[in-house]
Amino acid sequence: MKIAIINYGAGNLQSVANALRTLGRSFEIVDDPKKLSAFDKVILPGVGAAGSAMEKLKQSGFADVLPKLKIPVLGICLGLQLFADYSEEDDTKCLSIITGKVKRFRTTLKVPQMGWNKVELIKASKLAAGIPNGSYFYFVHSYYLETDFRYIIGKTDYDVTFPTIIQRKNFYATQFHPEKSGKWGMKILSNFCEL
Amino acid sequence: MIIIPAIDILGGKVVRLTKGEFKTAKIYSASPLAVAKKFEQEGAKMLHIVDLDAARTGKPVNQDIILRIRREIKIPVQVGGGIRSLKLARTYLKRGIERVVLGTLALSNPKLVKSLIDEFGKDRIVVAIEIKNDTIAIKGWQEVIEKKYLDFAKELKELGVLEILFTDVNKDGTMSKPNFQAIQKLVDMGFNVVASGGVASSSSIKKLKSQGIYGAIIGKALYEGRLSLKDLIEPRSNLTKRIISCLDVMNGRVVKGVAFQKLKDAGDPVELATEYSEQGADELVFLDIMASKENRETLFDLISKVARNVFIPFTVGGGIKNIEEIRKLLKLGADKISLNSAAILNPRLITQAAKAFGQQCVVVAIDAKKVKNKFKVFLKGGSEETPLEAVAWAKEAEKRGAGEILLTSMENDGKKSGYNLELLKNVSEAVNIPVIASGGAGSLEDIKSAFIQGKADAALIASLFHYKQIKISEVKEYLLKNNIPARL
Repeated sequence: MKIAIINYGAGNLQSVANALRTLGRSFEIVDDPKKLSAFDKVILPGVGAAGSAMEKLKQSGFADVLPKLKIPVLGICLGLQLFADYSEEDDTKCLSIITGKVKRFRTTLKVPQMGWNKVELIKASKLAAGIPNGSYFYFVHSYYLETDFRYIIGKTDYDVTFPTIIQRKNFYATQFHPEKSGKWGMKILSNFCEL
Repeated sequence: MIIIPAIDILGGKVVRLTKGEFKTAKIYSASPLAVAKKFEQEGAKMLHIVDLDAARTGKPVNQDIILRIRREIKIPVQVGGGIRSLKLARTYLKRGIERVVLGTLALSNPKLVKSLIDEFGKDRIVVAIEIKNDTIAIKGWQEVIEKKYLDFAKELKELGVLEILFTDVNKDGTMSKPNFQAIQKLVDMGFNVVASGGVASSSSIKKLKSQGIYGAIIGKALYEGRLSLKDLIEPRSNLTKRIISCLDVMNGRVVKGVAFQKLKDAGDPVELATEYSEQGADELVFLDIMASKENRETLFDLISKVARNVFIPFTVGGGIKNIEEIRKLLKLGADKISLNSAAILNPRLITQAAKAFGQQCVVVAIDAKKVKNKFKVFLKGGSEETPLEAVAWAKEAEKRGAGEILLTSMENDGKKSGYNLELLKNVSEAVNIPVIASGGAGSLEDIKSAFIQGKADAALIASLFHYKQIKISEVKEYLLKNNIPARL
């Protein structure tokens, strides 16, 4: 079993790679979509802005390939947001893997939301197996997803209530950074590896 | 602090009294249930319901209405007024009333209070301290007894009471100001205080909040439309305040000095980082305090090792000068970099870094010290004064793309006598990005103050943890006990 970490110029590949290494999983950082057929799982990590991220995914050809994949795909943070139809950030058309749009927080709370917040699990999913309800995960983001209820596995409050673990078929995503969320974050990554 | 709307019921109707006088009763609604539902819908997190008939007569005249409200709304309900028997208190508590407020009963029969605490827990038994000119008022405030409220508070403390509802009868329904001094005394004794009486303006609410109380009851000001509940309720969020362990590194070791001097060895960075992460630190900061050229490779090596072993976010700072160094550190696995002198000398570096790697990974560190009554920013590890003022510089950094401010008070650093709350509050209120308090944590109370009075989003702690004076879990437990969200 081998996991592809998609390199599209957005940071924190190293953190995801380090986490997979600690979990004893083999992985490779991939920057050519043609190579994906050699893998049985894909992680779309994410730090950065939606506009330039989509631009790079289009240029490299990942934008066409990703929505058609049948193997498990995990989007992280910006990766989750890129699954949507559209993001307010840079007025960006995204991958349309999951119905919904990405909005900026409009709140008196500080933006970006930075730190550990609670995830309430509302539906069972293999991705969240063994995670106690109400566990804390590490978030850094200024935008959040609005999507159909049926895709929501876990949700979080930050003035608005928004989805933080989602799943549609083989596509999974978390708004928080599992690779930076200590024990339970590692559990999510290991669950994904076990899918 | 939670905002608790009050519903006082007299003859089945919602009323407000002035200074506890029944003849002043003004009717606001014929339906307590409708009022309760409205408050719930407006975002109240708890209701305070008073059975005024019971307060006066000792008979639970409005019990059915109260229990019906309990059944029809989802938020917790606190009930007071005329609960003078163990039986009535137990009835309410068993039927889902979250907290009962005991007044007369606590004075006349402290043993019953103790047995209720034993049966239902400290959190659900609230004792009312209601005063008229420093002495205790009872029986619906119709009588006063010759007992100083502080003496009464001491007795309650010994009894194991944690929750206090404080009312200054002379202030109640007057829409003036709460009795801040008396409230502060109770907070200082370690009680969870809910303040009531005269809470009628946003400035009073702000002041109460800075006193670190649990909640404030608002009555007449809401009914008269002077305050709007929607404006007062804080946005719902479970984001915790962060406890950040700071490791000053030099030649591959962790060191700690006092006021930027007298360095002592404090251990191996990777070992300490792993240990802190396991103990529940929310984040780590590594500051390279030498930051010399030959030292740089040692730092890169260290960061790479940390990134492979620690799975919580960490920031690297100290002598970072250009975008290449930032790129390198992030690539090695750092989540954020912290810019200090370089950002002052070349503010465009902030923008450049934010554009290239995202706002979230750019921390601007500010070392400040009071000079002639102004908080001035210092350069180069605090050795050189600049013309910049801390608040203005923090705002400038935010505008340029900083995602966070790490604010160190140089005078307080390493002295363990508390953070500089004035500096902290000024900066926290001026920017809309998170602010990390640094320099001076010496006790649990200091950390709490950084969050409550200082309005910080995170607290940086070094020596307290290195020398194992306080455990991280102790800090978190203490914060939770003081209603400050923390991750355990």
